Amino acid sequence: MALTPFCSPPPSLCSSFRSLRRGLFLPLLQAYPYTTSKGAVPMPETALMALRFEVLGRFNRARAAQLTLPHFVCQTPLFMPVGTQGTIKGLATNQLEDIGCQIILGNTYHLALRPTSELIDELGGLHKFMNWPRALLTDSGESSGWKANAPYTRGVYSNPSMCFTLAYFGYSCYINRIGADIIMALDDVVKTTITGPRIEEAMYRTLRWIDRCIAAHKRPYDQNLFGIVQGGLDPVLRDICVRGLVDRNLPGYAIGGLAGGEDKDSFWRVVAQCTAALPEDKPRYVMGVGYPLDIVVCSALGADMYDCVYPTRTARFGTALVPEGVLKLKNNAMAEDTRPIDSTCACMVCKNYSRAYIHSLVSKDAMGSQLLSYHNLYYMMQLSRNLHSSIVRGKFPEFVCNFLQKMFPKGDVPEWVCNAMEVAEIDISSCRARFRDD
Amino acid sequence: MALRFEVLGRFNRARAAQLTLPHFECQTPLFMPVGTQGTIKGLTTNQLEDIGCQIILGNTYHLALRPTSELIDELGGLHKFMNWPRALLTDSGGFQMVSLLHLADITEKGVTFQSPVDGKPMLLTPEESIQIQNRIGADIIMALDDVVKTTITGPRIEEAMYRTLRWIDRCIAAHKRPHDQNLFGIVQGGLDPVLRDICVRGLVDRNLPGYAIGGLAGGEDKDSFWRVVAQCTAALPEDKPRYVMGVGYPLDIVVCSALGADMYDCVYPTRTARFGTALVPEGVLKLKHNAMAKDTRPIDPTCACMVCKNYTRAYIHSLVTKDAMGSQLLSYHNLYYMMQLSRNLHSSIVEGKFPEFVCNFLQKMFPKGDVPEWVCNAMEVAEIDISSCCAPFRKD
Repeated sequence: MALTPFCSPPPSLCSSFRSLRRGLFLPLLQAYPYTTSKGAVPMPETALMALRFEVLGRFNRARAAQLTLPHFVCQTPLFMPVGTQGTIKGLATNQLEDIGCQIILGNTYHLALRPTSELIDELGGLHKFMNWPRALLTDSGESSGWKANAPYTRGVYSNPSMCFTLAYFGYSCYINRIGADIIMALDDVVKTTITGPRIEEAMYRTLRWIDRCIAAHKRPYDQNLFGIVQGGLDPVLRDICVRGLVDRNLPGYAIGGLAGGEDKDSFWRVVAQCTAALPEDKPRYVMGVGYPLDIVVCSALGADMYDCVYPTRTARFGTALVPEGVLKLKNNAMAEDTRPIDSTCACMVCKNYSRAYIHSLVSKDAMGSQLLSYHNLYYMMQLSRNLHSSIVRGKFPEFVCNFLQKMFPKGDVPEWVCNAMEVAEIDISSCRARFRDD
Repeated sequence: MALRFEVLGRFNRARAAQLTLPHFECQTPLFMPVGTQGTIKGLTTNQLEDIGCQIILGNTYHLALRPTSELIDELGGLHKFMNWPRALLTDSGGFQMVSLLHLADITEKGVTFQSPVDGKPMLLTPEESIQIQNRIGADIIMALDDVVKTTITGPRIEEAMYRTLRWIDRCIAAHKRPHDQNLFGIVQGGLDPVLRDICVRGLVDRNLPGYAIGGLAGGEDKDSFWRVVAQCTAALPEDKPRYVMGVGYPLDIVVCSALGADMYDCVYPTRTARFGTALVPEGVLKLKHNAMAKDTRPIDPTCACMVCKNYTRAYIHSLVTKDAMGSQLLSYHNLYYMMQLSRNLHSSIVEGKFPEFVCNFLQKMFPKGDVPEWVCNAMEVAEIDISSCCAPFRKD
């Protein structure tokens, strides 16, 4: 199979490709035929795990656990802020520690481009480079990076085997070099709004690729490779994928392909199905989630970990997260409001700055976004802490009701939430307005 | 007067003092970071306190536009609004107008300009400037002066100097809060010693709480610069603070302090941070430089700031071209550097070690002994012996 011409790759890949041309490339292709695989390649019994997951409390499906990673001991459920470039917009390490961040997500694609994973490795790994003493998770760059943006794949995307080989080779090099506590498999992710055979193709490919990720993984003793469940909104496909990944006996599992525009009713059902089928004793990570309400629902259904750009992104639009929902600081009503963003919040921003002051900044100084990012991340970490402690103390239903009452004071809890809570066996009738015939 | 100025130590013309303001007790010589909008790019209140900032400068022009001085007043003043518990200084707004606005025109009434918000003609008078500053509530407020660039010559300079003296009386009359806000006069007169002398004597007659030396740091040659500072510091009262506006580079601050100045402000440390440049004892360090990509040392191993204790040059290098965090970390370090310089100036004068400090400073910055001639001349007038730092003159 000849190399299809493509745009010149980033310099860091050039040396990789020189070694490819030394004869590794063709044997690599021949070893992995691109037909449906007939069975999983099971992990050896002595598969290494670099984490410990200990459930400390439960309420029905919800669980609070201690997740011990190489760099940090975490409490789940937990939210992971997205740090793209190894930094979270405007916040220094000590501020992130003050906020209570436990795991930060780094985007492999961005880091691989600059400063390059070789440099990060040379300088001792991403933890040392960005001076983050707690845990890190790197994604594969899948949705934001390789396929979407990498110019060298655009020309060859029609040839998926070529695409993966390029991405895979880069992936395996980069992801081990960066050195995060949790690394994500390279999966074939499609939007849930797409229908048709592409979803099935992507699910099976994801299963084939997990074996190649496992084979490529050079550091199973200190980096945890999580598999990602795909399959769109099709329960049959999801089931096949879950079983395939569980057979591989991975340290943890993610539920991927959601949070991409699907309706909420489909969303929670996929989460519910996957959490029911994934092992009890391993962490479950719902990727790309999200809104505080979604996190509460998913936790009720048995998920443990979440990531999303939403809190920091919405901060840059002048929006703060509050128990009632959101507060838009750009609104003129904020100009003379001397209250803090959230009078129940104990964060540095709410203890020091008024809505009026932040309002004066949000339209013209990056400081506005920065203060809102700080508050919003604190809000998410406080939500994480509340989820964990309420489950441990056996007060999870009370917490959920309280949360819903603040967000829906008129009792208009969305139907999808009600349905999900029913499956989670959490009684939220006290938060709901009685149905009226209008 | 709403301040107390107590000299704690001297070395010839240089002095270290305690400047007690309504909101904070400061140590001079001191550098004041510029906070334009009531915030210093990316740094929170507690970070500014950690750095050791004592007084922050707010720009009246920007604050008056948004969120407006009336709102600030209504909400209890700028201190409360931005939650800055220490001292604040506001400028008059005049300088911004002249430097930012194309159609600014100065008449006896005041500064006429086109409002950037809606294009309407507007007028900033001495009365209006003081009224705005009264509403904002800073510890020190600046008189509206008629400032011209030192690179201009001719009768405009004399006109501006006399107008400044006429306007100070209007500022004094308009000032409603002399009990808790200190109105500083500003010495103008370009590079002309005669005009400067007239202005100094005119302002000193008004018995103001403090005095600024204005109109410098605008492109004049360094030799003219230090001579004006030297003349003014010699003529201004001993027992009141002297503020050289728009200064500046660490070297300039050391020289001016040797000549008897106490307070400084400049956008340089934060502005140069946004270009990826860090202030270090040797001068500057350019973090964008490729050599920084693998340099695992901190910006300055002698610096005790949060940035130098936590981040490497390599990491900051990776940020400076593409993430605001790079500029932010550099701003933090640079301001810490300036505050540490302030602390060193104060303590070395108090401890009677000022000449040693100056020599040490110059040796690090000019290791080959090539101290600029203007610095040598200024130090001679300041009676500080820096011969140990200067290479002997050679006939090349």
